[in-house]
Amino acid sequence: MAEVNMEQLLNCALCPNMCRCDCPVLLALGHEKVAPAGKARFAAMHKQDHLELSKELIEAIAHCLGCRGCTVLCPFPELNLCDELLYARTPDPDDQTGPLPAWEPYLANLKKYGSPYGQKPPFKGKAKKEADILYFNGCTALANHPQSLAAAEQLFQKAGVSYQLIAEDCCGYPAETWGDLKLARSLAAENYRKFVESGAKKLVTSCPECWMIFTERYPEWGFELPLEIIDAPSYFLGLVNEGLLKPSAVGQANLSYHDPCIWARTAKITEEPRQLLESIPGITIEEPLASGELTHCCGGGRMFQLSFPKAAEDIAKRRLAEFPAGVNIVTACPFCREGLTQDNRRVIDLLELLAEACCS
Amino acid sequence: MHNLPRTVIQESLVEPQIIDNFSHEAQAIVGADQVSANPADLLANSRDYWPVNNIWMIEGRVPALPQLVVWPGNTEEVSALLKLATKLKVPVTPYGEGSGTMGGAIPLKGGISFDLKRMNRLLKIDEESLMVTVECGLNGALYEENLNRAGYTGGHFPQSLRCSSVGGWLACRAAGQFSTRYGKIEDIAVSLEAVLPDGTIFSGRSVPRTATGPRLDHLLIGSEGIFGVITSATLRIWPLPEKRHLVSYTFADLKGALDSIRLIMRTGARPAVVRLYDTQETGNHFPELGDQRCALILLIEGANKIVTAEAEVIEDLVLAAGAVNCGPEHVEHWLEKRFNISVASMLFQKGAVLDTIEVSTNWHNAHSTYLAMQKSLLSVDGTMLASGHYSHVYPDGAALYMTTVGFPGSDKLIFYKRIWQAAMEACLDQGAAISHHHGIGLHRGLWMKDEHGSGLEVLEKIKKALDPDQIMNPGKLGLGGVKLWQK
Repeated sequence: MAEVNMEQLLNCALCPNMCRCDCPVLLALGHEKVAPAGKARFAAMHKQDHLELSKELIEAIAHCLGCRGCTVLCPFPELNLCDELLYARTPDPDDQTGPLPAWEPYLANLKKYGSPYGQKPPFKGKAKKEADILYFNGCTALANHPQSLAAAEQLFQKAGVSYQLIAEDCCGYPAETWGDLKLARSLAAENYRKFVESGAKKLVTSCPECWMIFTERYPEWGFELPLEIIDAPSYFLGLVNEGLLKPSAVGQANLSYHDPCIWARTAKITEEPRQLLESIPGITIEEPLASGELTHCCGGGRMFQLSFPKAAEDIAKRRLAEFPAGVNIVTACPFCREGLTQDNRRVIDLLELLAEACCS
Repeated sequence: MHNLPRTVIQESLVEPQIIDNFSHEAQAIVGADQVSANPADLLANSRDYWPVNNIWMIEGRVPALPQLVVWPGNTEEVSALLKLATKLKVPVTPYGEGSGTMGGAIPLKGGISFDLKRMNRLLKIDEESLMVTVECGLNGALYEENLNRAGYTGGHFPQSLRCSSVGGWLACRAAGQFSTRYGKIEDIAVSLEAVLPDGTIFSGRSVPRTATGPRLDHLLIGSEGIFGVITSATLRIWPLPEKRHLVSYTFADLKGALDSIRLIMRTGARPAVVRLYDTQETGNHFPELGDQRCALILLIEGANKIVTAEAEVIEDLVLAAGAVNCGPEHVEHWLEKRFNISVASMLFQKGAVLDTIEVSTNWHNAHSTYLAMQKSLLSVDGTMLASGHYSHVYPDGAALYMTTVGFPGSDKLIFYKRIWQAAMEACLDQGAAISHHHGIGLHRGLWMKDEHGSGLEVLEKIKKALDPDQIMNPGKLGLGGVKLWQK
């Protein structure tokens, strides 16, 4: 289990928080307990044995999207408050507090089905041991947006790239989010076994949360992955640049791109999605008020739509107000897609748009 | 471990039944989800950024807890809630972004923490008369970003810009780093809308000036929540500057540099930023300039030709006084680092006690007050550093901003009180005013009688007239309720 870095946590707890205006949760809710330093103070006092973590306090600390917006202007370069808060509220194995009631049904699903959404759709993929590319869709897209997997497969086939799929288990991100580290690691172990068995050399994923857990947590948990982890926007841009995919116009002119937090701030993937969009003839990108590494979270980080749906909706509304009126939004994360689908404009998945441009 | 930390200076609490009654009626006013007795809310609203709160936090304590937090969404809700609080005689402590450095947001007598962050709309920009009307709970950086997008600036940049609110600026009578050109918040404020404890909503006229008796709305500027709640304000704005000129100089000594600044102000030039550092702070902030000279950084902005003319007037004047032009890069460095206060967090963890003490001087005592405060601070056993800079200037004087750091060993609070006593005695002895822009809050109330003399009685009389049940932010601005802290 990752240990809290007390020095860094206290740096935040003792700071007046110049990042307050960068925290989407605080801005949407307006409640001091969810301010970055508010949460850091609870966490620090708890870790120093001054404060028992009641469910109310766990809930307050868990009001963090993991978006790392607070790092943008943070004066402490080594501080990753989102992770420190997560570690501080993750219960010890013998802790009897139990998960928040909102998390219980999803954790039960994860334990039973390997997906927070319950029974997974039947796996239809075939193992192709000779394929170097393993595509990992992630359980949110699998459960809620089956067309996204179809789009990725179309693109692979169009480009003539051999790929393989596995019967995915959840990557472990939701279980970690909801405080069940043991479950997260058991899911990671199962995925790790399948990755090794696949013999693939590269894993491409369109889910930023999966990408982050594979790249940051799996090694911490002892699963050194034997394959390279690649984000889908960069991978498919490579196929376009190699001439293996040739996008045609799709009848979309002006589009706005929403940078998912993890792609933008953790993976530093901000230009690749835009280059993909610009590779489609006729598309002009209209930027929202905050974009690139300064993007604002859609409200879907750390599974907020499942944990705290009202807060997620309020955060999404603030983010939507930053986009040019009437312009459809493209994004590259299943949570952003769901979070931003609130008003009457279309929220389009980047790969699905690319598949439409390349495969229709 | 505890469910809630121990409080240190909680003067009193309200009977739980009365709080229940308030909660019940308040929910009907603002909605059930905007009234909370959740321990996380009580704990979060227990403090502000007074350094003593950080000392206590490391020890696992908090100053005082509210019994309820409410989040009104508009002026009418504020009015109904204050009327209710007066009826039930429940103390109310307004809360903005919690960046105050004097303990002004601590709910000494429990009751209600009145959190205004939901009132965060920018209501109207009057581009013809250059005014903006804004709700009090809007974060400062978001306020400025909104204005910038429309082609304007609010001209108000306190170091707390990103962690303070418009209402907080007004309530504590704030000053921004660009104030020599744009003015302090009282200069920027055209009018205020506020609610008195009895629920009366009133506002000033949004005109440049009136001769219709005292500006009653301006009575709330600097009132730190003891008279009522500021709900919105109409503030002056400026078109984004056409040109910005950055330049820095060094001087052989602080007194000579102060004299040059005084002469600059006599010319009528109004650089937005004028900051003069003593040798220690010059060495700390601009190491490449060494620690033997005093750095002056200037930022001049506005219309192209006016900026050029001001820069020339200033250059002629300071070079004649023996200053050395050090170029724009030190000002660029300051602009980049001006919101970074990371050193405070790190020093607190190492057991240090630190604070900044800003006072207001005239030109005749600007330098002597610096010398006296420095000497006085260094005389306190445990003080390691007492340095200073001048952060705002006027034709009639300057704001002196002292920084002090000490490692007191065991009793940090006694040390804290000693350094403040030393600083305030030296300041008053020199005839300077005890605060330039951080305000009074809880802590500096200890010297309000020395500052105001019989004027404090006037303040008390106004307080009694407006708030006869004494519900608004008890114990602040030097009006009672500081017994536990005095002890």
